[in-house]
Amino acid sequence: MIGDGWKLWVGGVLLAVLLAVAVFAPLLAPHAPGDQDMLNTLLPPAWLSGGSADYPLGTNSLGECILSNLIFGARTALIVAFAAATGCMLLGTTLALASGYLGGRTDWLVSHLVDLWMSFPPVVLSLLLMVGLGTGVRNVILAIVLVDWTRFCRVIRSNVIQTRRRDYVTAARLLHLSHLRIVWRDILPAAAPLIATLFSLQLGIAVIVEATLSFVGLSVGADVPAWGIMIADGRGYVHQAPWGLIAPMIAIFAAVLTFNLLGDGLRATLDPRLRLSRT
Amino acid sequence: MNPVLEFDHLTLNATVQGRQIALLRDITFTVHPGRTFGLVGESGAGKSMIGRLISGLLPPGFTTGSGRALFEGTDLSTLTPRARRAQMGDRIAFVPQEPLSALDPVMTIEHQFAEHFAHRGIRGRGVRKRILEWLHAVHLPDPPTLLHRYPHELSGGQCQRVLIAMAFSSEPRLIVADEPTTALDVVTQATIMALLREQQRLHGAAVVLITHDLHLAAQICDEVGVMYAGDLVEQGPAHAVLRDPLHPYTVGLRNSVPNIEGPRRPLPTLPDQMPGMLALGDLPGCRFAPRCPVADRICAAKLPDWSEAEPVHHVRSAPACRRTAHPAPADIAHNVARDGTPVLELASVCLDYSSRVGFRRHRVAAVRNVSLTVGPGEFVGLVGESGSGKSSVARLIMGLEQPTSGRIMLEDRDPSRLQFVFQDPQSALNPRRSVLSLITQAFEAPGRHVTDEARNARALELIRETGLPQDCLPRVPSQLSGGQKQRVNIARSLCITPRLLIADEIVSGLDVSVQAQILNLLLRIGHELGISLLLISHDLGVVRYICARVAVMHRGAIVETGPTEQVFANPSHPYTKTLLNAARVQLQ
Repeated sequence: MIGDGWKLWVGGVLLAVLLAVAVFAPLLAPHAPGDQDMLNTLLPPAWLSGGSADYPLGTNSLGECILSNLIFGARTALIVAFAAATGCMLLGTTLALASGYLGGRTDWLVSHLVDLWMSFPPVVLSLLLMVGLGTGVRNVILAIVLVDWTRFCRVIRSNVIQTRRRDYVTAARLLHLSHLRIVWRDILPAAAPLIATLFSLQLGIAVIVEATLSFVGLSVGADVPAWGIMIADGRGYVHQAPWGLIAPMIAIFAAVLTFNLLGDGLRATLDPRLRLSRT
Repeated sequence: MNPVLEFDHLTLNATVQGRQIALLRDITFTVHPGRTFGLVGESGAGKSMIGRLISGLLPPGFTTGSGRALFEGTDLSTLTPRARRAQMGDRIAFVPQEPLSALDPVMTIEHQFAEHFAHRGIRGRGVRKRILEWLHAVHLPDPPTLLHRYPHELSGGQCQRVLIAMAFSSEPRLIVADEPTTALDVVTQATIMALLREQQRLHGAAVVLITHDLHLAAQICDEVGVMYAGDLVEQGPAHAVLRDPLHPYTVGLRNSVPNIEGPRRPLPTLPDQMPGMLALGDLPGCRFAPRCPVADRICAAKLPDWSEAEPVHHVRSAPACRRTAHPAPADIAHNVARDGTPVLELASVCLDYSSRVGFRRHRVAAVRNVSLTVGPGEFVGLVGESGSGKSSVARLIMGLEQPTSGRIMLEDRDPSRLQFVFQDPQSALNPRRSVLSLITQAFEAPGRHVTDEARNARALELIRETGLPQDCLPRVPSQLSGGQKQRVNIARSLCITPRLLIADEIVSGLDVSVQAQILNLLLRIGHELGISLLLISHDLGVVRYICARVAVMHRGAIVETGPTEQVFANPSHPYTKTLLNAARVQLQ
């Protein structure tokens, strides 16, 4: 039987590539983002007839280099993904620890808040938030955090409750350790593998949400390169220049696959129960 | 007469981490019709593996090597599972360890029994009558109403009676009972064993009884075989093996169990514990040699052959075995109360739980009017069956529950001078902490912070006190054996030297040789550090061994209390008598 270890490796390598592309974007991209060449609009990729070596993946309707937009788009996607996933993690985990460890009224309040929150359709909620907040990178991140923290909260809360019932937590309480220390030393480490896995999966979700929002024009500003905006632009010219649509779709697909593989791999390597069943 | 079951030099191999390891070596024994053969050994001895081999439930990767396992002349090890079911289905029956989980929770007793009969082609009108007869035969009360009950409405003992009835109802030639009473209370255990014996006499089936309890096996069985780490080391008539054990391991096993009568002799302790599966590959000779007090070089090199000590009493012994010392009976002193005010005093403590069924509130009295004192340095035992309220008393003392009425007084105001040792070290030790961090966890409390050096120094003292190996400080619990985990558990409670230790069933999950180590440890630290102990246990032998005074709990109330020797010799309450009789039946 093949284990899930390879997923961690493949995911890790893909993530390294993605990060490198984002960090070294100005060096890698042949053109600056937003450089328009009105003489060469809707060019096909370089390997097709009519293509130009200057624009390896062709140009869009404004004569912008698709490859360059793709590369700079990776920056936006990763910044939004990491910032949003971190926000979700901090907010969701904090509330989950309070709710699961303290129990009682706190738990009642947080659980019902999560239930209520999750009964809003997430797409509608994020659109409403974006309309209210206005476009911009910071606001996209905030919108994703406000929509997706509930997933962290729910899953981690049940893990915290499981751990809290173990005798070692009772033992720590009988030694009169402070609640903060018990949470920090005995509860949180038990949830850490789960948090890492959820974080990785949330990265993928954030990429999709960001792309969805920029597709409808309610994400980062129009001057910032983003994969969703590219899809929206390419859609109108799909018959003349299909690569304007295909390229950003592949980019989104690859990014989400990377994060999901990483999440799956982390889950398999960090979860002692899965590790046990393999041996 | 032809034997029902015959193991003939059977070897069972498994591939573990790329190495082939003989899990069972050269197993030879026979079981004749109408006889009971007891397979005795501690956990990991391989006795359940023999049960699984007979039932065809070997885990994947386990293969039989040389030798044969014959059931009425058919070699079981060569049959495919399907052929085995077809041929043996009716002729071999099983009585499982966990009666409640062996019955389907959504089927009534009648339904389960009828299905069992249907497998054998018995259907129609007569079935109900036969079920009633069988329920009657195993002395279940009121069989007609029992038919419509579900398993969860029955007690564990009643479920086990149903399963015994099912096992015998298919008129098998052989019954394999794997620890059939381990999950049950002492009193129930004795009656279930008597029932098994009675049914066997009536129906003449052969029984293989798998158990960790040498005394129980000696009581129930005709012959016993003692297993250690995959070897059968000694076998013969049950009474001979128990009375005159020849193998050093059998001697150790017999002496590790504390008695409920006679002189209170010190329990000899074998070092360490049985080797795990992986270590077996490195032990070509007698696998007991590393722990054996008398082993020499010959023992470790070659597996000793069988020798016949007396007719039919065989032992796998080397020349060194003859040096085995039998400890002289000697009475040891109890840790009795020293002068001073009691460290703990409970005055008429009651605890009610309220539960809601539908709209009606029920009040259940878990603890009723309990008064108890523990003097300085005194070891007190609290005994009773499960559900008698013993653990509720512990939770009250620890402050995890508030009493409904009554008072709990501690001599020392500082709550950390009262410590608790948990029953299950698996759950009581954070698997992500090192031994160092676990046993000195108390220093993490506010106001107790010390330097890392001081913490390290205290940890070294603690592992010396509790007999843990020197190099264990950086290890995590999963790298420790069961006995070592329990030592860590105890070491943690000793970090800030307590006045009173409360220990809830702390040895019940351990093998007897490890249990003896832990009991001696408790006696020693009680003596050296002047700690008082409240030991909660269902095991009367354990309580008698270490407790100077005993309190017997029954249905939430203390029904009898007094010096241990006095209560055990002259019990006054009928319930105490029942408990002692049940234990005596096993220990006779």
